[in-house]
This record gives sequence, structure tokens and C-alpha cells, in this order.
Amino acid sequence: MKPNTEHQIFSSYNKKDGFFDEVFNSNGDAKSIYKKLFDLYGYHSVAEYVQLNNKAKASFFNQGITFQVYGEKEAKEKIFPFDLFPRIIDADEWNTIEAGSIQRSRALNLFLWDVYHDKKIIKDKIVPLELLSSSSNYLHQMIGVDPPKGIYNHVSGIDIIKHADGNYYVLEDNIRCPSGVSYVICNRTALKRALFGVFNHYQAHTVTNYAENLMEILESVKPQGVDIPTCVVITPGMYNSAYYEHSYLAKAMGVELVEGRDLFVENDFVYMKTINGPKKVDVIYRRIDDLFIDPLEFNPDSTLGLPGLFSAYRKGNVCLANAPGTGVADDKAIYTYMPEIIKYYLDEEPILSNVKTYHCSRQDELKYVLENVDKLVVKPVDEAGGYGISIGNKLTKNEIEEVKKRILKDPRKYVAQPILSLSVHPTYIEDNNSFEQRHIDLRTFTLLGKDKEFVLKGGLTRVALQEGNLIVNSSQGGGSKDTWVLKK
Amino acid sequence: MSLEYTVTYCTENSYENDVSEAFWQFCIIPENNTTQDLISWDFDNSLKALNEVSINGFGFQVVRIHPKQLFKKITFKASFKLVKKEINPYDFILNHEVSEDYATINNIVFIADHEPFLRKTRFTKLAEKYKSLFLFDSTKLIFDNLLELNSWVFEHLYFKVGVTDVHTSLDEVIEKRHGVCQDFAHLYCAIARENNIPVRYVSGYLHQGNGYFGDSQMHAWVEAFVPNVGWVGFDPTNNILVEHNHLKVAHGKDYHDCPPIKGVVYSKGRNTTKYVVEVQASQQ
Repeated sequence: MKPNTEHQIFSSYNKKDGFFDEVFNSNGDAKSIYKKLFDLYGYHSVAEYVQLNNKAKASFFNQGITFQVYGEKEAKEKIFPFDLFPRIIDADEWNTIEAGSIQRSRALNLFLWDVYHDKKIIKDKIVPLELLSSSSNYLHQMIGVDPPKGIYNHVSGIDIIKHADGNYYVLEDNIRCPSGVSYVICNRTALKRALFGVFNHYQAHTVTNYAENLMEILESVKPQGVDIPTCVVITPGMYNSAYYEHSYLAKAMGVELVEGRDLFVENDFVYMKTINGPKKVDVIYRRIDDLFIDPLEFNPDSTLGLPGLFSAYRKGNVCLANAPGTGVADDKAIYTYMPEIIKYYLDEEPILSNVKTYHCSRQDELKYVLENVDKLVVKPVDEAGGYGISIGNKLTKNEIEEVKKRILKDPRKYVAQPILSLSVHPTYIEDNNSFEQRHIDLRTFTLLGKDKEFVLKGGLTRVALQEGNLIVNSSQGGGSKDTWVLKK
Repeated sequence: MSLEYTVTYCTENSYENDVSEAFWQFCIIPENNTTQDLISWDFDNSLKALNEVSINGFGFQVVRIHPKQLFKKITFKASFKLVKKEINPYDFILNHEVSEDYATINNIVFIADHEPFLRKTRFTKLAEKYKSLFLFDSTKLIFDNLLELNSWVFEHLYFKVGVTDVHTSLDEVIEKRHGVCQDFAHLYCAIARENNIPVRYVSGYLHQGNGYFGDSQMHAWVEAFVPNVGWVGFDPTNNILVEHNHLKVAHGKDYHDCPPIKGVVYSKGRNTTKYVVEVQASQQ
């Protein structure tokens, strides 16, 4: 099977069977939504493509759109590798993704309200109490606290994959401080600059409206009695891996980017130090983890946070987005209950499916996992960024034994899933100077506010750049693609 | 009958080098509850910084200070007046079946509602080898078990200042068999929670001059949930039930939810802290 060889840049594309290729049909033809793109890219030679690709890379670097990887000896700024060949999602498929993302975000919000109030879902024995009482992200300080307008997860990043069966599955819900949205916008800018002629042939939704929607969401959750709220973005600082994003969002929303030391709390109100004197702050889009937001209440060694912030929040004088304590619901063990959680609170069937997940905390499932480590992906429940994941069919015998030992040491800490076959997409690989199949996923960005829901029509398509690799996180050497959601 | 109390809390912190910025939070204000009324408070610090009354993460009143100048030494003084009712700690009736007690504590609704105070925190977690140190007798009422636990903790540990500090693990306390009121309270919490009884760690003041252990500084005791009754205070340091000699300030899962003082101080070098508590009572 060979793809259409008349297009030079895809001439060496090596399509393997067994994967779901988003672009090519099994007979090697481009799928209908990609046809026009093919014809347009076909005018370019590989050399031209390389030149365009380099220009795009330089533009990322020059704009400072970089990140750092934790745990490496020498902290080096890297650009997030970007691929100029976009992913296209048609309107119908998108409607499912969008409705499913909103459904999950709403259900998670109701779940969070419940676990911090009456715990009905626990008392009705749908979700075991054990998942709260063993979670370090379940903040007792939030019990009985009503967040402004009842919203906990203002921003949710839901990771979705397309499996070999052609259906979308949710891989995980990120509702602490999900990042990546600035890449969505920058990818679009870079692609339009490099290939404006191509983009204009498609009717794709804009992604640059994210910041204005985020701003509306933040303003909608202003504290009681505030007329026009002052919003800020708080960042841990320039050494944080997502600092570019924090500064981008602040700039795009037209609000101040602050660090803890730029603020102070007096009589349970938060103020920003300005050259015109103190200015009261009403809504904080915080990109600092729960335990670092207030050293007087949480981690006393935190120099990132703001002493007294939590009491101001508890008294309802300032809104934090996302609310403290949301981490309890993006625990990967809670994820496995999402179908039940959606039914319980919304009385609806889940629009997006979950991946079958085994809890190592359950005896029978633990046994299955231990016997089938080689066929499963084993994940720690509370780590982000793709750390600590082992993929069964890539492990040596010794490694399998090590994984088993690790699981047995603390079964509650691990869940396992079948090895999914993520869909593949043609991706330009610099080292080989050609387009090759690479696995991809999609992070969608959903916003919840008072009487307002919004899903960014695009999202971040992440690419695992190493051949055969299934982990797409940027910290694990992933790249990204512009994602076009087509209008009807 | 009731007692009028005057409580003063005084602390002095000195630093080797200048402090460029500091935040303190004092969790020392007696709470208002059915047995005690706070009548007045007064706060003063040597740096003339604002004394802000706020709340901690669990809603208890605290005082916060954030000096706006460089300094090497600060003294802080608080005084409170409150009225405490004379109470009979045995003022409840236990005439239910023993089995009702255990049915209550094994009910998922009860467990979910009391989850925080059933949780084994770092300071209230028993090592495997100590899990059977004290086992409840399920043929007896929970209250009777709790009472026996109070005596058991009192007899197991010797009150001695200086052997442990706020970072000492529970294992070490059990091994050394010495400690202060916090250690008695933590051990009580750990064992009661191991037996599925919700217990709160309580921080407060104790009447001075009656010869109680732990009256020279802030005191710690516990409140355990007794089915059909509610929260009942036990003072394992003194092997008594909590009554009008105990002035409650706050509660939490353990010491670290409600320490008398929390601070974030930006300074280099050594520092010293001194603090004094005086509690005086007069019959009304």
C-alpha cells in the first residue's frame, strides 16, 4: 500500500497496517477532509518544507515560547517541537468531543461540590470513601466552603485519544492547573505565517478567542458585591516550565501577571502593589499548585504563595480559579468512576467513553494486573506529565518484575489500562527528512463559569515524536500540531 | 455557677540578623461555644504592626501580624477575658445497647461525615507493631472504652518537657514513653482512630494552680465522638474528662492543623523564641 506518490513530500511515507491513520484510508488515498490539504502541500518539495519548518521553529524561539524539563541536570530552554502538517477534525466529530468535554467538566464540578459538602455519592456507595481518605489532594480546609458561584474547575484539560476502532476515548481529566493552551494559539499563528495560502482554503474555527472567553469566565465568578472585578494571573515565576503561557494569558486578557510577592493580604482582602498604591484583587487565575498558594495554611516552606490568601478565599473575598482541592477529582483512580459519576449527577449516559481501567487497590484486579503487566500500561494515580508510566510491551523481564514490586509496595497508588493503539498522523521527522507515522492525542480546554460553558474549538494535538512511542507529554519528548476544527 | 478567666499569652522572638519580612499567625483566641463566652481581647506587639483578626483554614479565629520594617526582635502579647460555665462532664445518659454504638460507627454515612477525624495523619498513625497496643472491648460501650483509653495513655506516658518536640514521630513517643500534652493527645487520637472512633485534637488553655500537667504553656487534649452523645472532651495528660478548667481555642486532625504559632520569616542565622502563658480564674 503506498500513499499517493505524486505528492513529493509524502513520497516516502511509510504506512503501517494495524494503526488507525487519521489521514490515509487503507487503500492509501487521503481521506476526503485531507484531500484539499494534500493538493496544496503537494506543491512544495521537501526542501521547501524544511525551510518553512525552520522558519516556524525560529519564530517560536524568538517569541520565547519555550519550556524546561524538570529533573534534567542542566536546565535548558527547549522549544516545543511543532509540526506544520495540521490535524483536521470535522464538524460532526467535533460536536461529540465538545459535548463530551462539557459533560465531563460539569460532572466533575458537581462531584467536587459533593465531596466537599454532603458526600452523597460516597454515602450512596457509588464511589468508595477510600478514594477520598487516601488522597493527599483532598483538602479538609475546603470542606463546607462554597466557592464563588459554585464553580471549582473553571479550567479543565481533558485528554482524548482516537483508538484503532475509530472512536474517541478519554485518557485523563486534568483539573488542577492544566497547561498547553498557549501552544494551541501559537501553533495557529506559526502555521498561518508559514502557510497562509493553505489555511485560507479551509473554514476552520478560530482559537484566538480563548483569552476573551477565559476572561469572561473569571469575571463571572467574581465575589459577592463586586461590580467590575480586578483579575490577575499568578505565576510561580520565570523558572516555571509554563511561564510563557502565564505571561501570554495575562497579556491576552489584559490583566496583570503577578507573583506572590506582588500581592499582600490585609483584613482578609487581597491587594496588588502598584505605583498608584494598593489595588484590590477579586479574581485570581492561579497557576500555583494547591500546597504552595499560602505558606501560613499549606506548605510553610513555599515562597511562591501569598500568606493569608486562603483565609481571604474562605471568607469569599477573592475567587481562586481553579478552586483549591480540585486535585482530588483528577486522581486517576477517580477517573475510573467517571461513567458512574456522570450518571449519578447528570442522569446522562457518558458521551465520551473511558478506557477500561484496573484498580490495583482491588484484590481481583490487582491479581489480573500482576499477571498481565506485559499487556498493560501501569500508571501512578497522582503523577502528572507522564512520569512513572510503564508500558508493558516495551519492558524487559527484569523491568516487569520491578514494576510488579512497585505495585505491590503500594497498590492504591497504581491503576492499569490495556495498551491502547493511539491513532497516527503523518509527522515530519527532521532526522530522517521525511514524513512518518506518529501517535497523537488531543487535549481539549473546557471552561466553566456562572451560566457559561466554553470549549476551545481546536485543542492541543500532541505528537509522540519517537517512533512507536505512546507518551505524548512535552516533558517526555512530545511535539504538537495545529488542530483545525471545521465549520459545517 | 461560672468562672471568669483572664488569659495572657506573651511571646518574644529574637533573630541574629535583620528580618526583612515576616508573617505570623497566632491560633490562641479562645473560641465561643456552649460552655465559654469570650468577653474581650487585646493584642499588642512591639513593632506597632497591625494586629489582624482572621481565620485559619478550618474557620477558627487567629491573629496575624506582618511588620513592615526591618527588625531583630519582636514581642507579642495577647490577653483575653472569658466566662466559663461550671460543667459536669458526666452530664449525659448512656442507656442504649452496646451494639447500637458499633452499628453507628460502622455506618457509611457516619464514616463519611467524620472522615477528617478518622484519618491517620503523620502524627496520629500507629506503626504496624503498635496497632494492638490498646484494643477496644466490643462488649463495652464506646464511652467506657474511651475512658479506659484515657487512663491507659496517662499511665503509658510520663509527662516530661524536653524529650520530644513538635516533629517527634509517634513511634518515638511510644518507645521513649515520655512526652508532653501534644504527645498524649496524638497517642490518644491514633489509638481511638485505629478503633474507628472519630477524634479531634484540641488546643487550648488549662486552669493554673490546680497542679495539672501542662498548665504552664498552651495545653492539648482531645474530643472523641461518643455515639448518641456527641463530642466529649478527654484530657489524657491528666487522666480527667474536660470540664471548666479547660478553655478551648481550636481543633484539628493533629497539632499541625492548629499550632499556637505559625510563621514565615525571611532572615538568616539563629533565632530564639520564648513564650509565657498565664491563666487566672475567679469565681463569679
